[in-house]
Amino acid sequence: MHSLKNNLTRLLEIAVIVIMAALVLDVLWGVVSRFVLAEPSRWTEELATFLLTWVALLGSAVGFSRRQHLGVDILVNQLHPEARRLMAIMVQCLVIAFTAAVMIWGGYILVSETLHSGQTTPALGIRMGYVYLAVPISGLFIVLFGVEQLFELVAPLSPSTSSQSPIAESQRERT
Amino acid sequence: MEAQLLILVVGFLVMLAMNTPVAIAIGLCTLLAVISLGDVPANYIVAQRMSNGIASFPLLAIPFFILAGNLMGDGGMARRLVDFASVLVGGYRGGLAYVSTLTCMMFGAISGSATAAVSSVGGMMIPEMQRQGYNRAFSVAVTTTAATTGLLIPPSNVMIVFAVVAGNVSVASMFMAGILPGLLVGLSIMLVCRLMATSCQDFESLANLPTIEGDSNAKGSASQPLAQSKSLVGTAFAALPSLLLVVIVLAGILGGAFSATEAAAIAVLYAFVMAVIVYREVKLNHLPNILLRAGITTSVVFLLISTSQAMSWVLAYQNIPQSIATAMLQFSDNPYVILLIINLILLAVGTFMDMTPAVLIFAPIFLPVVTELGMDPVHFGIMMIANLCIGLCTPPVGTCLFVGCSVGQTSIASVTRPMLPFFAAMLISLLFIAYVPMLSLWLPSLFAR
Repeated sequence: MHSLKNNLTRLLEIAVIVIMAALVLDVLWGVVSRFVLAEPSRWTEELATFLLTWVALLGSAVGFSRRQHLGVDILVNQLHPEARRLMAIMVQCLVIAFTAAVMIWGGYILVSETLHSGQTTPALGIRMGYVYLAVPISGLFIVLFGVEQLFELVAPLSPSTSSQSPIAESQRERT
Repeated sequence: MEAQLLILVVGFLVMLAMNTPVAIAIGLCTLLAVISLGDVPANYIVAQRMSNGIASFPLLAIPFFILAGNLMGDGGMARRLVDFASVLVGGYRGGLAYVSTLTCMMFGAISGSATAAVSSVGGMMIPEMQRQGYNRAFSVAVTTTAATTGLLIPPSNVMIVFAVVAGNVSVASMFMAGILPGLLVGLSIMLVCRLMATSCQDFESLANLPTIEGDSNAKGSASQPLAQSKSLVGTAFAALPSLLLVVIVLAGILGGAFSATEAAAIAVLYAFVMAVIVYREVKLNHLPNILLRAGITTSVVFLLISTSQAMSWVLAYQNIPQSIATAMLQFSDNPYVILLIINLILLAVGTFMDMTPAVLIFAPIFLPVVTELGMDPVHFGIMMIANLCIGLCTPPVGTCLFVGCSVGQTSIASVTRPMLPFFAAMLISLLFIAYVPMLSLWLPSLFAR
């Protein structure tokens, strides 16, 4: 389970790196086409917003895998380690519940309804449903990582380390 | 309406207290509020609002500025800025404190991140200040507070967030509006340094505040000096390319040549050329990791934006901001009083909430109130950011304070007292920013037509 999670995270990370690079090149191409070629390309902005949706949602899944989404831990840190572990379990359940209900279920309806309506984007003619596909797919990854972390919390091999790690690690890398 | 407001407020606070990731807490209580509306497909609506909320070309400037900041930061920008600032202001009594402040302002502006400024600049300046006899807690206090000015001096990502949430506000005018308030806060911090350098019985180790030369009083005179031997021209030449990034972005946007997003992409290209080709401090094989770091930082912010956009939809659907506006205006129709109340609420919120979620949640709630009072949304945005900057330096949750204390290896408790004069400076600056609209609106008005 652990190596599966690491491999999936790595896969997502590569996707994030590639899309980030593509975003920069895409927008720069938009500038070049306007100033140098004097023939503004109509598709660069559209493509950029789609790539942005994908990179933000896939990156969110990486953020959950690396426990980088921010919470407010002052109250929890006052608790007894066992109570803190219980709290972390409840929080994991909330994350899974939200992701499953909104991102996977809601996202699935969003994708299927948009695909069904046949709505396409103005410049590129991509079906909008494929853009929204980022929502349920990222949701699946987030739930997967959430379940893995839940297992770690519920059945701790060494209780002291696993109950502290999610809290301590979330302090890093803030903007 | 009461039911939804109750769900949002109570649900959010409970989940926040449990250490739920803020984005999820916002999303979940939004979901519950939409469910309580009845006969609407709740999970579909929230999913749709979330994905539409981030599919926005203006928001794309955020990952680009983060990326450019990372490239410049890894490319040794902090050292060059410190050298330049040392030559400019290091020669005065208490010079290192000025150097710290000025470098933080420049670094924060370029990187657009207050915590990056604390960790990079603080990582260099705090040990140096310690070596020259400065009180460590004082050094942390200077760096931490000064780093927040980078959020007011453009380019600034939180301004883009505000502009997108507010709707009818241009990123360009936010950027212009932030310049003078940012300089004001920075100068007020320098003023505190100066006052403490001249009368500092309070902090005994400051009594012999050395200049950067450190010749007369510094205990560690044998320690390696900063940049006093370097020339103004040489250090300026080394630091100029970093500062030019800000100029290119602003000139490009204001000249009408680029949108903010395009300017940000050009900033990435520029930072790439500088860091990889000119300075050669970033190797090509570092790039994937830099892209990944920027991508994850972006995603953390964007998940917040997406769930907040869903919440804004519920708020607007139920006319909650208008109701709050009416209630506040019934309490008092004096603009000064209302502005004071809003500032006090934001100060309280800022102590426990990070800046981006606070802007995302409270900008849509307070904007109807202040526009009713005739306040320009741009002015309100700048005031809100200046206000929340203070919260970044206060316990219980202050990201700048946390990073500053960990870089400076001090406890939050020991920094509290040296922080107080700086808080006073920031609060007085905030009063000016809140009650003198021209401070924010004069520069944008020059470029309006």
